[in-house]
Amino acid sequence: MNTLLARLGAPGGGPAHGRLRTDLAGAAAAFVVAAVLANLVQEFTAFEWSLWATQAILALSLTLVWGQGGIFSLGQAAIYGIGGYTYGFWAINFADNTGETITAVVAAVVVGSIVAALLGYFMFYGNVTDVYVAIITLATSLVLFAFVNSTSGTAYRIGDAPFGGYNGMTRIPRLTWRLPGAESHVLTRTQFFLVCVAAGLLIAVIIRVISRRPFGRIAVALQHNELRTELLGYDVRWHKLALFTIGGSIAGLAGALFAAWGRFISPPVFSLAPAALVVIWVLVGGRTSVAGAFVGVLVVKGFSSWFGGASGDNEPIVLGLLLIVIVLALPGGIVPSLGRVRTWFRNRLSGSARQHAHQDAAAEDDAVDRGFAAESELRDTIEQPARRIAARDVTRRFGGLAAVDDVTLEFPPRGVSCLIGPNGAGKSTLLALLSGQLRATSGSVTLDDHDLTKWHPYRRARSGIGIKLQVASIYKALTARENLWLACYAKTRSIESARNRSAELLEWLGLSDDAERPAGTLSHGQQQWLEIGMVVAGDPGIVLLDEPTAGMTRDETERTVSLVTELGEQASVIVVEHDMEFVRQLEAPITVLHMGAVFARGTFEELSDDERIIDIYLGGSHADAASD
Amino acid sequence: MAFDRLFNLGFDLATTISILALVSIGLAITFGMRGIINLAHGEFIMLGAFATLSGVRNGLNIWIAMLVAAVAVGVFGIIVERLLIRWLYARLADTMLATWGLSLIMVQVIENLYGSVTEGIAVPVGNFNVGSYSMSTYNVVLMGAAAVCVLVTYAVMHHTRYGLHARASVQSHTMAESLGVNTSRVNMWTFGFGATLAGAAGALLAPLVGVIPTMGQTFVARSFMTVIVGGPAFVAGPVSASGLLGFIENLSTNRFTPVIGQAMLLIAAIVILRFMPQGLTGRRSLR
Repeated sequence: MNTLLARLGAPGGGPAHGRLRTDLAGAAAAFVVAAVLANLVQEFTAFEWSLWATQAILALSLTLVWGQGGIFSLGQAAIYGIGGYTYGFWAINFADNTGETITAVVAAVVVGSIVAALLGYFMFYGNVTDVYVAIITLATSLVLFAFVNSTSGTAYRIGDAPFGGYNGMTRIPRLTWRLPGAESHVLTRTQFFLVCVAAGLLIAVIIRVISRRPFGRIAVALQHNELRTELLGYDVRWHKLALFTIGGSIAGLAGALFAAWGRFISPPVFSLAPAALVVIWVLVGGRTSVAGAFVGVLVVKGFSSWFGGASGDNEPIVLGLLLIVIVLALPGGIVPSLGRVRTWFRNRLSGSARQHAHQDAAAEDDAVDRGFAAESELRDTIEQPARRIAARDVTRRFGGLAAVDDVTLEFPPRGVSCLIGPNGAGKSTLLALLSGQLRATSGSVTLDDHDLTKWHPYRRARSGIGIKLQVASIYKALTARENLWLACYAKTRSIESARNRSAELLEWLGLSDDAERPAGTLSHGQQQWLEIGMVVAGDPGIVLLDEPTAGMTRDETERTVSLVTELGEQASVIVVEHDMEFVRQLEAPITVLHMGAVFARGTFEELSDDERIIDIYLGGSHADAASD
Repeated sequence: MAFDRLFNLGFDLATTISILALVSIGLAITFGMRGIINLAHGEFIMLGAFATLSGVRNGLNIWIAMLVAAVAVGVFGIIVERLLIRWLYARLADTMLATWGLSLIMVQVIENLYGSVTEGIAVPVGNFNVGSYSMSTYNVVLMGAAAVCVLVTYAVMHHTRYGLHARASVQSHTMAESLGVNTSRVNMWTFGFGATLAGAAGALLAPLVGVIPTMGQTFVARSFMTVIVGGPAFVAGPVSASGLLGFIENLSTNRFTPVIGQAMLLIAAIVILRFMPQGLTGRRSLR
């Protein structure tokens, strides 16, 4: 968690180009070291190192999709294989005419990204998640394995290049380049090594840049809380697809370099072992660190040649044990763990850890007192056209049960409305139908003149619907500031103004002193407020609040009343709440839901005299109530 | 179309479906359990096949060897659960990685013990004829065995105290625990039960396929796709998915090649999941 935060960097932190300069300097230094080493050793040794460099590039593709976006792909090796075959086909067919194979590398990158995009489309747009992604990508590799294995014979060829079946594709041209008007030049072994190293380092730098850009931050966000990310207005499916496609292009490049290195590629590249190997490299090195990809490749290589026996027969046993040991004992991987050790030592030396803890505790004590200190500042920043949300004849069934049954409700464009009703009345389901988490079985949801019924949550969020869920849905591992930054960026799409706006919101919520703490360590009430703040950050015209005071103290609840009332001046606020005292203080029109249908409407005073409502709350017989 | 040709096609189809159901039902049980993705499932099948092979080589009657093999793999599964899996509950990706490590080790250990060449077991029964087509009686045995495995699983899951506890643990782990169910124990038996079914599948397939250390790879992708497409129902899921995917695989295998058949199975599975993310038996939901 710590490393993730460090990598993400505080959105308010130092200038991004300064960190880019550091990264580039690091990469340049690493390149110089590699160049010096390559000239010290024999050419053949440098050539052998090239393999490790291509493997590190392959590992980086997984670092990006898994470490960054949480997409647990086991298909990187397969895309690598596809890249290798593509390079082979292209180079064998065209290298003689063009005198270079750089276009073959480009082709491998393009094909790699196309394959990833296709696979990604079906997975992410089908809402396939987590391990299902792993299984589908793995199954895809295995089917490719079976297919390529069966391609012996002359029938399977593209142009002059036969697939070669289980024997693989042979006589693939080396990496060759040619300047316009000059002779073509086959790279020497040392040159090839340096090209591989340069490509690897460049990709590492690019991944670090991505991780600091909003795109990378959103990727990390969706890894931590996909639902919240979508409800903030981010198209999570598109983000995953984009990330996976970039990962595919990197794997394709690695495959091309591999094929150019060995001049050969064969079906086992699609089998289980290489797929596992990629995961092991990244797991051992640490999936959240780009340096981990390089470290992982070297450490695993060292391990398996040290313990695997001279013939390498027992390598799978070593790898299997390594996998189990890492999962059980060192889930973060080597590089992030080293980072933790370093932080621990530094804190030991300076004693700052204790100091921090002390400050945190003190901060928590006054946080409540400072809640909403700067209410008036908010008022200037929100200016929304009035929006009117309505549900018409909306029904939502779960199996045979109609959780929401033919509800028609229209909410005024400004002001607070309350939804109450006993447990199971369909309140949260109704909110979910408005926010888009659920889709209506029949009926329609409209916002002004737009029919939203089939819109995904992110589209509804973008058109101005914000929701605070019943159980606070925030990014617990990210800091309060990062939480708000993500919410603001969804609206502003500008790093700078999102930074300023989130600072204002922190001030307003009274969370400025706790801004750098992981949100999961905030008090219960603070977490609720943080989520409300994230909803407000989007300047929503419609605010849906599901039990905003759950778990709050009396004092916090009272502050929430003034907050909700204030929001009601700007937007249409729909509150679901069980706390009747809170509902009374809001002085808002109330709709009572019972068994999925609208049971009664009125003011608090009107409804509190209605015996039927007391009956449904206290479990009195519904039949009796209806006959009144 | 002549009756015998039609019968042959149907017979072939039923065989494919039975094999799919056999290799996936054990996985469906462990998969339905709290956060367990057993990537070594294919190797459990392989172990069942090698155990049968060893039994036959040591003079055991083949049917008894199969039974012993299934039980042995079940015991092995329980040992694995106690030593490895139980530390990893609710860590989906980690169980997957750890069992993957296990599968790599198992393949290599078996290869060191038996070598990597194809081992055959003679098909223990003969053929019968329908019209001009000859069919293996063993496939009938296979279909029967698949049906028995499915029925036994259903009976165990729905008519025993253990089954009730297992289903309760899946629904709500904490609730089952607070009602006094020892979920750790239940998980152990579930994993063992799944392993037994995988072992039985391996034993039954041993006479039909080449018994080689890497044979698990052939089944693991197909069984996972079947389970995912089937969805959350323990028995109805894999059975319905076996029917559908088996039909697709069989049709394209007959029309083209076995490899195309496998590829079509995968493509069909991915397309189905695109539109039914919860699988065939999942709650019908638009999102």
